[in-house]
Amino acid sequence: MGSESKITRRRALVAGGGTLAFGGTVAYLASRGGSSEGAYVPETSHTSDGTTGFGVELAGRPIAGQADAPVDIYYWTDYLCPFCKRFETETLPKVGRNYIDAGDARLVALALPVIGEYSMPAAVWGRSVWATVAADEPAAFWRWHGAAFDAQERNDNDWATEETFRQITERTAGVSLDAVEEHRQSHGDDVRASITADAEFARSVPFRGTPGFVIYNRESDAAGKIAGAQPYENFADGIDRVLEA
Amino acid sequence: MTEPRRRGWLADLRDGLAYPLTSNRRLLLAAVATVVTYSVLVLSAFPQFAVQILTRDPAQFGYAVTALSRQLYLGTGWLGVALVAAYALLTGVAVTNAVTLLRRARRGGASTLAGVVPGLLAAGCASCGAGVLGTLGLLGAMAALPFEGNLLRVGGILLLAYFLGRTGDPRTCSIEPSR
Repeated sequence: MGSESKITRRRALVAGGGTLAFGGTVAYLASRGGSSEGAYVPETSHTSDGTTGFGVELAGRPIAGQADAPVDIYYWTDYLCPFCKRFETETLPKVGRNYIDAGDARLVALALPVIGEYSMPAAVWGRSVWATVAADEPAAFWRWHGAAFDAQERNDNDWATEETFRQITERTAGVSLDAVEEHRQSHGDDVRASITADAEFARSVPFRGTPGFVIYNRESDAAGKIAGAQPYENFADGIDRVLEA
Repeated sequence: MTEPRRRGWLADLRDGLAYPLTSNRRLLLAAVATVVTYSVLVLSAFPQFAVQILTRDPAQFGYAVTALSRQLYLGTGWLGVALVAAYALLTGVAVTNAVTLLRRARRGGASTLAGVVPGLLAAGCASCGAGVLGTLGLLGAMAALPFEGNLLRVGGILLLAYFLGRTGDPRTCSIEPSR
């Protein structure tokens, strides 16, 4: 323990500065919202009553993109999930522009309500909106879908209430609140059953949380899995590989 | 430095915390251990996501830590983030002190064992605590714990602080075995 082992002013300053820098970096990372490009609204959407080669039932599920796209992207989501919001705002617009609108892939929105009490009712709202607009103005669903993620607030799930979703539905252009409410009442059980089927399928993949993605080549049967809001490059890479597989 | 003394736990804690300041290498070790602990804590809170990103491309480590820090904030708020950062800092100090204690133990034999054990417990509790916190973070199970797991984090920090205070400056010999 020679003189070398003294607490010097310089080291104290370095340590203090380092601690501040560490705290500042963590705070910065925590507060950074990431770049948002706004909600993605696909150029085309379609409906289907079939079951895909991967085993996913399509009836009642929103599908973005063209019916003959060679690759399916199954996207399990929850309107209460912050990771899903990250995917929706940072990654989906790019995937949409480069693959879905280009005709290479279609995106099937599946439900995996796991985050909070209102996850299931929120998913029912989504399916009901799709059911009422799919035939005539499917873009309205994606506007509603983007608005629902936009309404998500940090830290708790208190924002997710009947009232919030009613307001989102009311103010989304092309969506009729009355028609959606009517569908929720008359088809509620069917919708919940289809959501439960989605969730069970997700657990068999298996996914333990949202968002979960399976990229599936409809011709060659090749499939890849992506868990979580990964960077766009991983999605591009995954889709490219499945396209060629 | 080694005069016999009976001092409070707080003074010992202060000495323990200041110990990494005594050499550049120790300071560097504490900094590295802090950053590593923080990364492990946030990555293990979302294991499936972290594993998939890192096995695909380890260069995306930064993206994973960045994205998960944001998630930590969204899930637990500023308090949760601050607690994890504090936990990482204390672990950095505890690991540095434990390295010194271990070196001394090798030189000094069994007589210093009493002084070594609390320090090792501090580092051990820190690293194992990180694992426990992480495992509990699985699937957002932390959210099911009281205060979204913040209670557990506070518990871990108190335990760390307690053991750091027990050890004090790892270069001092305990003349009076404190109970």
